[in-house]
Amino acid sequence: MSNIGVIFRREFAAYFNSPIAYIFIIVFLVLNCGLFMTPFFLAQLADMRDFFGNLPLFLIFFIPAVSMRLWAEDKRSGTFELLMTLPMKSSEVMLGKYFAAMAFYVVALLGTLTIPIMLSVLGNPDLGAVFGGYLGALLLGGLYMAVGIFTSGLLRDQISAFILGMLACFALFLVGIPAVSATIDGWVGGLGSFLQNAFGLMPHYQALQRGVLELGDLAYFLGLTAVFLVLNAVWLEGRKY
Amino acid sequence: MIEVRNVTKRFGATVALDGVSFRLDKGEILGFLGPNGAGKSTAMKIVTTFLAPDSGTVSVDGIDVLRDPLEVRGRIGYLPENHPLYVDMMVHEYLQFVGRARGLAGDELRRRLEWVAEACGLGSVYRKPINELSKGFRQRTGLAQALIHDPEVLILDEPTSGLDPLQIIGIRELIQSLARTKTIIFSTHILQEVSPVTDRVVIINGGRIIADGRIGELERAAMGRNRIFVAYRAPAAEAEAALRGLAGLHEVRPVAGREGAARFEVRTDFGQDVLAPLGRLGQSRGWDLLELQESPFSLEDTFIALTRQGAAPREVSHV
Repeated sequence: MSNIGVIFRREFAAYFNSPIAYIFIIVFLVLNCGLFMTPFFLAQLADMRDFFGNLPLFLIFFIPAVSMRLWAEDKRSGTFELLMTLPMKSSEVMLGKYFAAMAFYVVALLGTLTIPIMLSVLGNPDLGAVFGGYLGALLLGGLYMAVGIFTSGLLRDQISAFILGMLACFALFLVGIPAVSATIDGWVGGLGSFLQNAFGLMPHYQALQRGVLELGDLAYFLGLTAVFLVLNAVWLEGRKY
Repeated sequence: MIEVRNVTKRFGATVALDGVSFRLDKGEILGFLGPNGAGKSTAMKIVTTFLAPDSGTVSVDGIDVLRDPLEVRGRIGYLPENHPLYVDMMVHEYLQFVGRARGLAGDELRRRLEWVAEACGLGSVYRKPINELSKGFRQRTGLAQALIHDPEVLILDEPTSGLDPLQIIGIRELIQSLARTKTIIFSTHILQEVSPVTDRVVIINGGRIIADGRIGELERAAMGRNRIFVAYRAPAAEAEAALRGLAGLHEVRPVAGREGAARFEVRTDFGQDVLAPLGRLGQSRGWDLLELQESPFSLEDTFIALTRQGAAPREVSHV
């Protein structure tokens, strides 16, 4: 089995070795489906726009809660030293952990497939937009998770890692909102627009949500995810010195 | 096999290791001694490639730890100071995980699992969750983890800390049984644990090596003189005067003894035979000889003397 696979297997199983995983998934499904279903009967529209519209805010809490343990727990329990003296690259350990956390998120996300199935039965939803929405949810989660694994590495305490990760994700969310960037522009001319264009995730996310697949939006999510993973790898190597 | 040359490591303003050098040949066991905070763990973390030295070089089996850390890690089994265990896993799951992460698979993995479970006495807890294990079993699971890939080099940081005497003996016997085939460094701040396992020690204090050699040599180097206890049935003052008249005795000090006995502690140079003259002295004066024994310094005495002298690093004739 490949090195990444060995770590992935252990980390993925670790989520389900404690009841927290099940609680996380139930909370994720109840809140997301609940928030979606409440206005659904009023609007009577067979689309998932509301569902995906809630995700960027909701995931700011959910993803850091999933990722907070990734390094912080190992550092606290002493297994960090075990992992870092295995005959594999630290980046392989990191990717194993990252993919395991993503797999956990995907399991939670799969639980929401009941909604598009229900919509298809009841009406005629735009499946392109649904597909784009799920792709956006995956990419958005992937970016938040990369931020989360990075902040988890910086700290020894899971709760601090959670809060720091949440703040970092929130910052990425905020700078992409026009009202916020306009306010920042008012303080320092051009800074708000620059931040919005460079880091803001909402414009890219909304494009995917509409079912529009553009290279620029994919590149934004994948590129920024890669940046945080590389930062994490650099930190893992740099800590030795 | 393991060569540490002039290694320095700082953490901020603290100097954890200051020009540390020692070497270890294949098949040797090294007791790494020092008070808490002396730099033992840091040195071990550098050899295992967990930390990088600020300066100096470390090689394992001729491979530099900075140039090819993965190759070095593959040859080392490492037990860190705090149990490196995933408490949410069962013992066998945990050992399987470490075995796979170290590249074992299939039949080989199965054979190694059986072997470590047997060697570390884990049979009774093999399918129990680690968080239900006692400290002794946790330590053994940690040791099993270090042995799973049958490494040439074992680095054990405080393998017996926190264990009860029986468990300590168990771990000690395990280390001894591995001794023939492996190169082992183990650290401890408890001196009695060293001598049953090996006589090669490196003593470190304040980040510097203050002694490196065999226990006997270190005792001589540290204490300078031999120590002998002698007791006669004789008037104390008379006996003391007689002893002071003997050649070759550097110090004569009355110490407490049995009722009616004049008991003394005397110091001589190493290699000088004073036992026979002390015996004859009693005969010639008509005193019964009640006690005559050479009393080697305990490792504690040596350790304390060396850590006090610590400022001046000394190299004892190398093994």
